[in-house]
Amino acid sequence: MSAHTHRVAGHRLPRRDGVGKVTGKHVYAADFKLPGMLYGRVLRSTRAHALIKKIDTSRAAAMAGVRGIITSADIPQIRYGTAVRDTTVFATDRALFTGHAIAAVAATSLEIAERALAAIEVEYEDLPPLFDPEEALKSDIRIHPDWETYKALPIISRNRNIAGQARIRVGDAEAAFAKAHKVYEHRFSTALQHPGYTEPRVATADWDANGIVTVWCNTQLPFDTQTTLAEILDLPAARVRVTVPGIGGGFGGKLRIGVEHFAALLARKTARPVKVMSTSEEELTAALPRQASIVLLKTAVDKEGHLLARSGRIIVDCGAYAGSGPGTAAIALQVMAGPYKTGALAFESIAVYTNKVHSGSFRAPAGPMANFAMECQIDMIAKDLGLDPLEMRLRNVVKEGDPGPSGEIHRSVSIEECLRKAADAIGWHDRNPEPGRGKGIACSWWMTTGGSSGVYVKINPDGSATLVSGAVEIGTGAITGAAQVLAEELSLDLTDINVTGVDTQAAPFDFGAQGSRTTFSVGNACLAAASELRRQMFELAAKQLEAPIEDMKLQDKHVVAGNKSISIAELARISRLAGGGLIAHGTAISPAPAYDPTRVQNHPLPVWNTPSYHAHAVDLSVDQATGKVTINRYVVAQDVGYAINPTYIEGQIEGGVAQGIGQALSEEIVYQDGCVMNANLTDYKMPTAMDVPEIESIIVECRSAAGPYGAKGVGEPPCIEPPAAIGNAIAAATGCWPNSLPMTAEKIAAAMQVQHS
Amino acid sequence: MNRKILNIVVNGESHQVLIEPHWTLLQVLRNEIGMMGTKENCLEAECGVCTVLLDGKAINSCILLAAQVEGCSVTTIEGIGDPEHLHPLQEAFIECGAVQCGYCIPGMILTAKSFLDENPGCRPSRDEIREAIAGTLCRCTGYRKIIDAVATAADRIALSGAKQ
Ligand code: FES
Ligand code: FES
Repeated sequence: MSAHTHRVAGHRLPRRDGVGKVTGKHVYAADFKLPGMLYGRVLRSTRAHALIKKIDTSRAAAMAGVRGIITSADIPQIRYGTAVRDTTVFATDRALFTGHAIAAVAATSLEIAERALAAIEVEYEDLPPLFDPEEALKSDIRIHPDWETYKALPIISRNRNIAGQARIRVGDAEAAFAKAHKVYEHRFSTALQHPGYTEPRVATADWDANGIVTVWCNTQLPFDTQTTLAEILDLPAARVRVTVPGIGGGFGGKLRIGVEHFAALLARKTARPVKVMSTSEEELTAALPRQASIVLLKTAVDKEGHLLARSGRIIVDCGAYAGSGPGTAAIALQVMAGPYKTGALAFESIAVYTNKVHSGSFRAPAGPMANFAMECQIDMIAKDLGLDPLEMRLRNVVKEGDPGPSGEIHRSVSIEECLRKAADAIGWHDRNPEPGRGKGIACSWWMTTGGSSGVYVKINPDGSATLVSGAVEIGTGAITGAAQVLAEELSLDLTDINVTGVDTQAAPFDFGAQGSRTTFSVGNACLAAASELRRQMFELAAKQLEAPIEDMKLQDKHVVAGNKSISIAELARISRLAGGGLIAHGTAISPAPAYDPTRVQNHPLPVWNTPSYHAHAVDLSVDQATGKVTINRYVVAQDVGYAINPTYIEGQIEGGVAQGIGQALSEEIVYQDGCVMNANLTDYKMPTAMDVPEIESIIVECRSAAGPYGAKGVGEPPCIEPPAAIGNAIAAATGCWPNSLPMTAEKIAAAMQVQHS
Repeated sequence: MNRKILNIVVNGESHQVLIEPHWTLLQVLRNEIGMMGTKENCLEAECGVCTVLLDGKAINSCILLAAQVEGCSVTTIEGIGDPEHLHPLQEAFIECGAVQCGYCIPGMILTAKSFLDENPGCRPSRDEIREAIAGTLCRCTGYRKIIDAVATAADRIALSGAKQ
């Protein structure tokens, strides 16, 4: 089937859950309630680093309406975590950051629960804190004194306050630096950024008569939440059922367990259903934000601006627990290599503990941090060499068949096309249309995370199909995309595909709504299921039509063989009576491409699967007095392989860029002496409709071998380049590069002043 | 407890609810009347997901004490259209691809409705729409398609008004 003949895939069809969402009928986890439900709240540490000498809950426990209180002493002593098993439900003998959970209360109302929190007395003895990640690398203070006893993935290399350290080495960087025309060294820093989903993390838990706990929550990874909960509760996984009624955004901030464990433990303690929802303050002080980072980058070039060697180090501040820090830091190494041919590479990543909030995997983890450094430095070098920044990039970008940093082979490469299209659209020939106005460009590549997906697809007696998947629709439209693939393959309309809610007890496994993979992997699983259903239907039709299977095809909701045909609905009815129904299990797994393991050390994601390529270009003005940035235009050219639904691809691009603009210009969880100074949505500044320009999307389609109809991952890339593209445009407008995110008006004004004096 | 009776009209239906003095309109709508289409997030009038129309005007229901709306008429997202009879705004939001996770959408649509109702028959510019919805945060869409949707709906409403 070639793409231009597709009836359903490739079309701008409305999403399956749209009507429910515009009428208020769509149920989100926050809307979920049960009769007799209690409300849970969490007491959080007021100290950044302290021994907990005593927790006295007696006054709180005696309050009317309080039904249960738990602390570390009441629960199994388990450490969990993805890369490093360093995390506990509550602070044990010490609080590791301001906001660390100390105790949880369940009460008949939220107000009572809150009053009970205030009545719990905690006695602390302060310990010297570590806030600066570079200091934490040198310090004798141990944030986890027992770090050596923790279990971790075998690939993770740890040492004292270092939660993970990875390397990529290609060729002889030292030799290249020694004989280079010029060598440049710069330092960049990026800030802690909240994912900013509009529905806070929430969970309602209830235990049934068989000792099974059901948790209704808004996780992006129901199966990971199930496994983690099972560990925390010390139960076999089958006794934990995780279901996601609906989810108000995630962006990676809802990958790992959030409040589900508090709800489940309180429900066990009180033998009542318990709902726990984070407050805005908890979101900004104790959720899973994007790590702050420091990037040191050194680059050698020849006279023509060819990249001879790059070396560098990214230090990722993962806060009190490793979280996704080791993986995030390691992924930065591929981002730092970029879509460029470079003679030699010597990169190192370090994820380090500090006494601040534990962090997570916000959309394209490490992407914008590493890209900001890497792409701003390209412009700095171009300026010094007197080269056009676009030209400098075009001289260095990878071509079809070139090796990537891990020794893998770049395939279906489109980076040059993306760069040229973005540059043309922004009017690159005129980079400084007027004083105080400039244009910037940045590009990157990014993986389509693999992982396995399973789906069940059932044909109903009316000829429609039901898609059962363990993948959560977090808003991207990814499941609508997968349903379009399924409808296409079964000759159905999109409206014929019913999608069930996610329930770990009923749905086949899915690696989860993460890593730009949902449409890609669930779509591939739908292809497999459709192929199996065709086999079942053709076999059945062969008997009914007395026609050979080789002659059969699906067309307009019928199995057709020559001039004979039978409807899919009829086949489903026949099968119901005589064959148990038409149902298929489709699976997909994307094996990692071949690579050279000698290049990559201690890296949990050593090679990228089905990478995509993209370029962003921006036109902005900087107020010469205040440093305030106004974005005039913003263009994205992104290779999506094959656009299954262009509308929602644009939606991903527009939304991702908006988040990137936030990270570039305004968003930062500000710490002072271990306390968050802006734990509310007025002072934590996410872009409003007034701050985001009309983002222009150019969809590039360079088919992949692995995705459905050639699709590549779409969701994460749009937030990677904005900080770099904007930084470069600010430099074009003002002559100075702010090298730290967010590039606030104050920082830009200060940089301009230094330049003028 | 010192509960009081609140008389309130929600989506055209009269309700009598026993309320506690500290309850907000949001709590009453969600917990007592069951209008779950009105969402909750910051509870500090910072995000706009809890927006409803109070006597036709968009307000943040999370900071308004329920006791203050005695005798008032409230419209929630459930009150402006249903799956079989979508309001032009609801229709346009779907058509323009303005819905992603959807959690901000009820508040966004009601904000837009209040804005369009205040300026009957007008076809607002994109900048005017931008300003009108600036109080409601959307983290998914980058706003462009939301502005498309409001502009599309405004056109259709103006057109059908002109015909009448
Ligand atoms: S919940 Fe009311 S404005 Fe955020
Ligand atoms: S659609 Fe998700 S916040 Fe607006």
